[in-house]
Amino acid sequence: MDTITTKLSSEEIFNLMKQFITEVIGEEFVEEMDITPESSFTKDLEMDSIEIVSFSEKIKAHFGEQIDFTGWLSSMDLDQLINLNLGMIISYIEECQS
Amino acid sequence: MAKFVFVVPPLTGHINPTLSMGTALLERGHRVGWITLDESLGDKLPAGGELLLISYNQNDQQKKDSEKYLDIITKKIVYGIDSIKFLYEEVLIPLNRHSYDGIAELLDQFKPDLVITDHQMFAGAIAASNKNYPYVTSVTAPAAIKVMDELPKVHEWEVNQIVALQKEFGINTTDSIACSDLATLVFTSRDFFGEMDLPEHFKFVGPVFNRRKTTIPFHWEAFHTSKPKILVSIGTTFDHEHKKAFFAKVIEAFANEDLHVVVVSDPALFEEWPANFTVQHQVPQLELLPHLDAVVCHGGHNTVCETLMNGLPMVVIPIAYDQSHVAGRVFRVGAGERLNFNRFKANHLKEAVNKVLQNESYKIAAEQIKQSFIEAGGTECAADLLEALSNKTSNVFIS
Repeated sequence: MDTITTKLSSEEIFNLMKQFITEVIGEEFVEEMDITPESSFTKDLEMDSIEIVSFSEKIKAHFGEQIDFTGWLSSMDLDQLINLNLGMIISYIEECQS
Repeated sequence: MAKFVFVVPPLTGHINPTLSMGTALLERGHRVGWITLDESLGDKLPAGGELLLISYNQNDQQKKDSEKYLDIITKKIVYGIDSIKFLYEEVLIPLNRHSYDGIAELLDQFKPDLVITDHQMFAGAIAASNKNYPYVTSVTAPAAIKVMDELPKVHEWEVNQIVALQKEFGINTTDSIACSDLATLVFTSRDFFGEMDLPEHFKFVGPVFNRRKTTIPFHWEAFHTSKPKILVSIGTTFDHEHKKAFFAKVIEAFANEDLHVVVVSDPALFEEWPANFTVQHQVPQLELLPHLDAVVCHGGHNTVCETLMNGLPMVVIPIAYDQSHVAGRVFRVGAGERLNFNRFKANHLKEAVNKVLQNESYKIAAEQIKQSFIEAGGTECAADLLEALSNKTSNVFIS
């Protein structure tokens, strides 16, 4: 499948993001975490910059052209990046789909 | 004979490469000075090296200020991207603002043919530029350049901090002058740095190591066993509770295993260490490395390069600043595994170390990077470049 034509609900996006986070940081760590849309990458998930970059690569690989996630991420300044949470990503992906 | 001056921050990792290049320049008959806030650097300089101490005709407040910057970076626990903000706002910008006048004055006293300023001592570039001395930049933490590519907005934020400081001292460009376009020496190889388009004046000279023999005593007798030997070091920057939590996991992972573990730490951190551990505050790292089988470290650029230069695999556990990036490179080139400092548990560390010890591929990858370091040229190549530039610039600037 080259393009994803079906629109994902916010819950489906959330689950997909959770799956990517799991792939990046490892299943056993995720089990101990309470991941919610409010979870911030830096403070709550304790992801460092390289982990955030590989997470964004996964989104890119999944959505392809449909979503310019790396571009969106790279438009963030330092404070926004520090405060980045899952909910923000979910709304961004929803926006791109609409 | 030419006169060279290094402008260095009070950070060990940034100073060591300058000692190595300085030694080479002194051996070639040049005069070499070091501009620093840290008086104790005097003890580390090679014979003939001149300490140019930034000191103000001080009232007590200013003196206090100078001391405050020497260990400021060890005073706060920072992690991940947050640490970049801390590094600039609370360390680099105040440090550079404080150092500027001193640097400018010392440049006029020493009248160097070439200034070599650290990429985080922007005040060195600003002062050299204002006073019309040619300068080159030494990049001891190459991730600082790579961030342009990976996180461009973070890079932009960093540049804005530097540009604002430049303005305070009368330089009204919109771009940072921290990296000289005369030459910017990057102490790694292209292979280890990774893909990125950069202008010609970025010179990848490879890591440069301080060749001076250390006099740090080491308990070699206990060390020469047939067991595999590993070194565990998380550097000089983290002198706080990070260490206790970290080494507790190291003990849990390796106590009574079939390994000899050399730990760089204050032995008093724990009342007792396992019998297969050697714990010292300082170790003769460069002498030790050829005898080791693997290294566990925090991803400081110098330790990583020294480890790779010995063709050793490693496990990198980055804490802050550029270390996450360095760890990412080690993993990407296949020379080691990386763990997350906050999340890893003793069993992860044990597994990762076993993996890099048992699987040849890590060592082979490390050997390949070693080869790229050797080809990059190192200290002598850097010294050649500096000499050539001092000849070239003395015509341009002094005539």
